[in-house]
Amino acid sequence: MGMAGSGGDGIVSAGESLISAAAYEGYHAMMTKSFGSQVRGGESSCRVRLSTARVQNPGGTLDVAIALNWEDFLKFGAELPVSGDTVVIYDSKTGVEPGQIPLVGVTPKEVFAVPIGEMARRAAGTDKAKNSVVLGLIAGWFGIAPGSIVRGLNKKFAKKGPELLAANERAFHLGEEFAKEHPLATPRAMAPPTSSGSKMLTDGNDMCAAAAILAGCEFFGGYPITPSTEIMQFFTREVWKYGGAVVQAEDEIASIGAALGASFAGKKAMTATSGPGMALKTEILGLATIAELPLVIVNVQRGGPSTGLPTKPEQSDLFQAAFSASGDVLRPILAPTSVADTVDVTVEAFNIAEHYQTPVILLSDQEIAQRKETVDPIDTSRFTFIERKRPTAVDLQSYARFRMTEDGISPISHPGMKGGNYQGAGIEHNEQGNPTASGKVHAAMNAKRFRKLAPLQRRRDLFRIDGDPDAPFALVSWGSIAGVCREAYLRATAEGLAVKLLVPWLVYPVAEEIYREFFGSVRAGLVVEASHQGQLYRILRMYVDVPRGVTSFARDGANPIQPGDVVARLRAAALALQSPPSAQQIACEE
Amino acid sequence: MTTSNAPLPTYQAKDYKSELKPIWCPGCGDFGVVQAIYRALAAIGRPPHEIAFVSGIGCSSRIPGYTTAYGFNSVHGRALPIAQGIKIASPELLVLVAGGDGDGFSIGGGHVAHAVRRNTDITYIVMDNQIYGLTKGQLSPTSPKGLHTVTSEYGSLEEAVNPLLYVLAYGANFVAQGTPADMAGLAEVIEAAIRFPGFSFVNVQSPCVTFGEDDQQVKNHRATMQSLAKLGHDPTDRLAAMGLAQKYGKELHTGVFYKNPDPPPTMNALIKERQQVLSEKAPPRSRIFDRFLQT
Amino acid sequence: MTDKTRSIDLANISLRDALDLAVLVEEEAKDRYEEFADQMELHHNPEAARFFRFMLAIEAKHESRLAERRRGLFGDEPRAVKREMIFDIEAPEYDEVRANMTLRQALDASLRAETKAFEFFEAAAEMVQMKDVQDIFTELREEEREHQALVRQEIDRLPPEGPARDDDDEIVAL
Ligand SMILES: Cc1ncc(C[n+]2csc(CCOP(=O)(O)OP(=O)(O)O)c2C)c(N)n1
Ligand code: SF4
Ligand SMILES: [Mg+2]
Repeated sequence: MGMAGSGGDGIVSAGESLISAAAYEGYHAMMTKSFGSQVRGGESSCRVRLSTARVQNPGGTLDVAIALNWEDFLKFGAELPVSGDTVVIYDSKTGVEPGQIPLVGVTPKEVFAVPIGEMARRAAGTDKAKNSVVLGLIAGWFGIAPGSIVRGLNKKFAKKGPELLAANERAFHLGEEFAKEHPLATPRAMAPPTSSGSKMLTDGNDMCAAAAILAGCEFFGGYPITPSTEIMQFFTREVWKYGGAVVQAEDEIASIGAALGASFAGKKAMTATSGPGMALKTEILGLATIAELPLVIVNVQRGGPSTGLPTKPEQSDLFQAAFSASGDVLRPILAPTSVADTVDVTVEAFNIAEHYQTPVILLSDQEIAQRKETVDPIDTSRFTFIERKRPTAVDLQSYARFRMTEDGISPISHPGMKGGNYQGAGIEHNEQGNPTASGKVHAAMNAKRFRKLAPLQRRRDLFRIDGDPDAPFALVSWGSIAGVCREAYLRATAEGLAVKLLVPWLVYPVAEEIYREFFGSVRAGLVVEASHQGQLYRILRMYVDVPRGVTSFARDGANPIQPGDVVARLRAAALALQSPPSAQQIACEE
Repeated sequence: MTTSNAPLPTYQAKDYKSELKPIWCPGCGDFGVVQAIYRALAAIGRPPHEIAFVSGIGCSSRIPGYTTAYGFNSVHGRALPIAQGIKIASPELLVLVAGGDGDGFSIGGGHVAHAVRRNTDITYIVMDNQIYGLTKGQLSPTSPKGLHTVTSEYGSLEEAVNPLLYVLAYGANFVAQGTPADMAGLAEVIEAAIRFPGFSFVNVQSPCVTFGEDDQQVKNHRATMQSLAKLGHDPTDRLAAMGLAQKYGKELHTGVFYKNPDPPPTMNALIKERQQVLSEKAPPRSRIFDRFLQT
Repeated sequence: MTDKTRSIDLANISLRDALDLAVLVEEEAKDRYEEFADQMELHHNPEAARFFRFMLAIEAKHESRLAERRRGLFGDEPRAVKREMIFDIEAPEYDEVRANMTLRQALDASLRAETKAFEFFEAAAEMVQMKDVQDIFTELREEEREHQALVRQEIDRLPPEGPARDDDDEIVAL
């Protein structure tokens, strides 16, 4: 379901009421929002996808399109695609005849011109109740959670007084009645939810912040930047309650600096930003690496370069995350693939940071960060939380901060710990932490810093691999696009294509063995991602012999990839293999 | 004698001196500064492991390594944010920050104002030699206008930053200046700065013997310095302090320019208060996700 | 002169404290010479380093003689005067040295330091009330005079020397 209107229409708020009611009833749901670039009062839209099964992605073409006015609707072009299966509902006030709607090249299944504004004024005396009318239409035509929607309205307007509540309820019922009086030619009602019990409804940024606090994060340093700011905002509301603190610093450099200071002082710490802020943090990231200090850095990716597309998702900061560093640096990069697994990935980021004494980059993206998603209640007892290895009393008798150990992990002290005094530094140092320019020591320390991270590459639990291990076709995808690929994988499998799917949480370092094994049976496939260059694909090729038949399917951010696109490409790749000459060619080349 | 019944300090200056031998140029003013710091720390008597000493990059920024405190010789210009993070995360630590004039007022200049307004209880010591020492003699933000250096062949065109006025203008509650030409005075102001509850700033005129101007050396300081106390300056008078600070670069005043007689609460104190109030109604960490349930 | 000590009431100082002060003055000078010798070695100036080590030995000897005397008179009685209370009384000041200083400059520096110490004890002797303390300070003053003579002697023995070394590429940059 996709809807668009002007800022004041409250169309996004209608979407929120709808998804909240659905979550309460136990539906699975996902909602993405999109706004014009005006700070206030611009056009806005949202998409809500509801299902009785898990929702993997925001979906492709719309089943229901709602336009409060056509100008605004059309501004969202690719984000609100209408097909021959779509039911289109629009405000008749626009004066457009149902046969004349300004959609090029498609004939929607059904089109309704509804006096939405007029009904709002009739019910509530104001246009402002248009969104309640829309909710009524949705409930009436598609049978979605009418009771829970009214319940939601009750909660929402409780503080604003009984009059406003009554007016909105009237508007809702007017919409509902209108729908009943004008039934769809082909009725489409949602089936009741299969699982009862209400779900959580939240977005990736809030989940990330909450999971960080769960993991024991006690310090957050930040600087506002879309689309990461909600992480800091969550911290400013919550972290004090757990003995922590948050600083809105003067810039991204200070925010990572303060977080690193907190880590030096022995506390779990985090900072969050987006691409441009990440660029500023680079120098101190290097400091964290050489000083071997745990730190979690969140980059909620948006379209780039530079200011780029601040409100749109893209997966184009992977090169930056992996390679933006002076010197030889290896820092783990983790990417969540949904709002739900943002929790697991965030906890994991802290665990890896603490265990290996390293900065960890959590590479989220605008979609996961800001889309609302239903999530089953979380049993927090399933997590383990790792703390950095502290020196023992014996270690402290002749303490060497960067002691050469077999696994490369040296016990780490912090100010306040007697006998653990050392000099943290950005300069190369010996085991005691004293500055050195010795090539020998530098090589040994580099080796140590790389050695300690080697076991990460064997962490199979940081990969989601589905399908027959011997399948000849493969999909690899990461971040928010992984949800698209998961649906594509299910569809292709249903079509009888022997395909398997690999989704990494650990994006870098490249787990060579795991990919080698995965690609062993593969003859054709796609690495699917939202960037111009296909950054994951290229990084994989740096480290792994990616089979020739596996190609990059990369599309610039803000141009959504649909599961159907992926399936079509995969089918084409499979077909190409079956045509005899090329199949032979590939066989002998392999 | 006045000291005979004073209790023996648990720590002596030498307890704060590390084994590491300074690589500063012989004669560098920073030798005096580190000595003064040892003495100030001894007078205060906190054990070295309870001290975190943060610096940026520069000759002067080597200083934490010459102490036995926990040190963090970080990156150019970023000592203040790191130090504030340390202090906020671990309020019980004594946190010192030190560095050069370039580190503090050029690349890191943007952080100073915010360190002042955040008012964490840390002490910032700038070793102001009006030059970039470590990179061998380029113009610094405190270099006097017209100075000839390797990056100002024909004399610099910019006015100097006035560090004293800068921090005073942002509302710093403790501002002092010292020079290694007066070691006792230097140790004294550093000690007073550390004891001050809140952000404190000490500008040390610490000559660079290798790239500094001849008339900016210790000998000159000794001849020209004027003690603010002897001038009868009232250190609780912020406006008078600002008036005197205007003379930066022309006259060498030593001692305390301004010390707020009624220091406002530090950021750590405010944080603690907030933590106490909010933690009372907090669900346990394990229930942090409950808020997202649609009820 | 008062800027060389902190919280010491020289006029009323006791014999024990005066001896302790003297020991610390020598200790401070010794430590400073050691630092200077280290600095000179680090900066490849062996001649100046050797001379500073020579001075170090003299100050060390002087210190241990005074310490013994103190122990003889006052045993293990705790010290009330502390190192933190004195500032460069006999120790040459930090800015006296340069990486490329000549041996003559090193000697000049230490002559100035000995002169400084002489002046300190001379003034102190005039200030104090008690006779035994005055004797100690006078004695110390005379020893500083001897040190001065010793350094002068060395200076006189020096051959004439060329200009100071020019070492433009000595400093490590970051
Ligand atoms: C990001 C960055 N830029 C430049 C440098 C090079 N650099 C090191 S120290 C320094 C300036 C030193 O001057 P100052 O801060 O006054 O310290 P001083 O050496 O005089 O004590 C510069 C420019 C660096 N290390 N990092
Ligand atoms: S270059 Fe200047 S500031 Fe640096 S150590 Fe030498 S004298 Fe000191
Ligand atoms: Mg400088």
